[in-house]
Amino acid sequence: MAIFYGLLLASMILLGGSAVYALYWAAEDGQFANMDEGSKVIFDEREPEGEITDAFPGIDPKREIARKKARRLMKQATNS
Amino acid sequence: MSTATANIPDTNNAADRAAIDRSCRVPVLTFFATAIFWLLAGTVFALLASIKLHHPNFAIEIPEWSAMVIRALDPFIPASTVDAINGALTFGRVRPAHLNTVAYGWAATAALGVCIWLMARLCRVQLRHSGFVTAAGVIWNIGMFVGTGAILFGQSTSVEWLEFPPYASFLLFIAYALISIWAVDMFVHRKPGHVYVSQWYLMAALFWFPWLYGTANILIHLQPVQGSVQAIVNWWYGHNALGLWFTPVGLAAAYYFIPKVIGRPVHSYYLSAFGFWSLALFYSWNGGHHLIGGPLPAWVITASTVASVMMIIPVVVTAINHHMTMKGNFHVLEYSPTLRFVVFGAMAYTLASLQGSTMAIRSLNKITHFTDYTIGHSHLGLYAFFTMIMFGSMYYIVPRLVGAEWRSAALIKIHFWSCAYGIIFMVLILTVGGLIQGLGLRDANISFKDIVENTLFYKVVRSGTGFLLTLGHVVFAFHFLLMLLRLGRSGGGPTLFKPANG
Repeated sequence: MAIFYGLLLASMILLGGSAVYALYWAAEDGQFANMDEGSKVIFDEREPEGEITDAFPGIDPKREIARKKARRLMKQATNS
Repeated sequence: MSTATANIPDTNNAADRAAIDRSCRVPVLTFFATAIFWLLAGTVFALLASIKLHHPNFAIEIPEWSAMVIRALDPFIPASTVDAINGALTFGRVRPAHLNTVAYGWAATAALGVCIWLMARLCRVQLRHSGFVTAAGVIWNIGMFVGTGAILFGQSTSVEWLEFPPYASFLLFIAYALISIWAVDMFVHRKPGHVYVSQWYLMAALFWFPWLYGTANILIHLQPVQGSVQAIVNWWYGHNALGLWFTPVGLAAAYYFIPKVIGRPVHSYYLSAFGFWSLALFYSWNGGHHLIGGPLPAWVITASTVASVMMIIPVVVTAINHHMTMKGNFHVLEYSPTLRFVVFGAMAYTLASLQGSTMAIRSLNKITHFTDYTIGHSHLGLYAFFTMIMFGSMYYIVPRLVGAEWRSAALIKIHFWSCAYGIIFMVLILTVGGLIQGLGLRDANISFKDIVENTLFYKVVRSGTGFLLTLGHVVFAFHFLLMLLRLGRSGGGPTLFKPANG
């Protein structure tokens, strides 16, 4: 019984300690240094910023959006 | 590592990315396929449990008939075994079977699949030790089969969220611990550069859960603590499984897929880091609010209520961040299945969490505790938030694993709308029914029988909403099966965006 409680207490300290250490490591490592650049790591050359990367099968969102925009402009032009 | 951290990734070409996706194929598809199996099983248990609330004897004959057949085959079968089979589909067994199959079988298994794929992508290296991860998935599923069978045949421990007997939960623990060890190995071997916020959530979730699960199993099953302390251990675990395992994985997926799909970085990356650390600080205290009115020191419950209300901070931070990221891009919802599901989930997360904070306040809890209102809340959290995000993630990941597009836009739309309407109506009906129950129970002039009769209508409608969800699940499972059988649309279409070998 005592061994179990000792283990639990040790694991609690270890877990809490590792969280504090993770925060310390992140700050030291410069993870918080340049956040705007950091948020862009999920993009790359072939899936760059500004590209939609998911669509229903058979649909090209870029073309659809362009078509909608063209239609709106046409409407405005005919109205005025 | 130097503080000059190269925040910009190494030029990471598409061939690399396709190779990373390909390296995940076997383990991630194993997790996804079994997750969908458990989703269907959990849905059947859910329908049975829901129907039994208004027709208690529904399907009760099935196990009795099978017991009769077994007895005819083997007349010397012990009476206790026959009893165990006879009761297999009673409410008391079907309901915990539902909870465990959807929570551990579906949600956790799907979450592990998404974790594995995201870890590989965010570490920017190919999946290491693919066989090791797949083996963990197999052990996990053996544990699920053993545990679910144990519940159905009367071996449940009757501790909510920990109904699996120790011989089953041990298998789950081993499988999960293997994945955690693998995650550390991946993290150590990642390509240098910035650690994206999703990865913080994933690493934390993968660290926290085995510790929570192990500790709770030791303190409740192996070296049981005594008396009401068991209750607090139970709910410390129960709530943390939601808050420190499902929530971080769901948010990690949302923080990855929303910006990734619309092609625009998170509105405020600072807020996302802040949200992570405040969630880590506050969530672990929340379990006590399940025991308001219970035999515990008042300060334990008060501390938990305070922490529950403090959860407004990370939740609002996340909500603002997701909304501002989406602002000006809502039209993309029309074209992207992933985005639809994930944004629906992210909105439900805000709702569910804010509702949870109010439910932790004693004056409201007095009315809602032990009623269907709570059930509505739990479905809003685990279904409308978490499950929808998992669906969305799968719609993004699976085509990249099998190298083909989803077969049909119509099937995806049926899936989305039946699940969206199903869960919205289910939550609404449970909320109203729960309030009627709760207010009735506080009125000494209303008999318990009247309360039961008054809420019967809501129970019947709830079963109806369950059928809507079932429709969505069956359609999704069928569509997924087509993908597994390589019957998806071939070629590098828009979902794949650029040919995988390019």
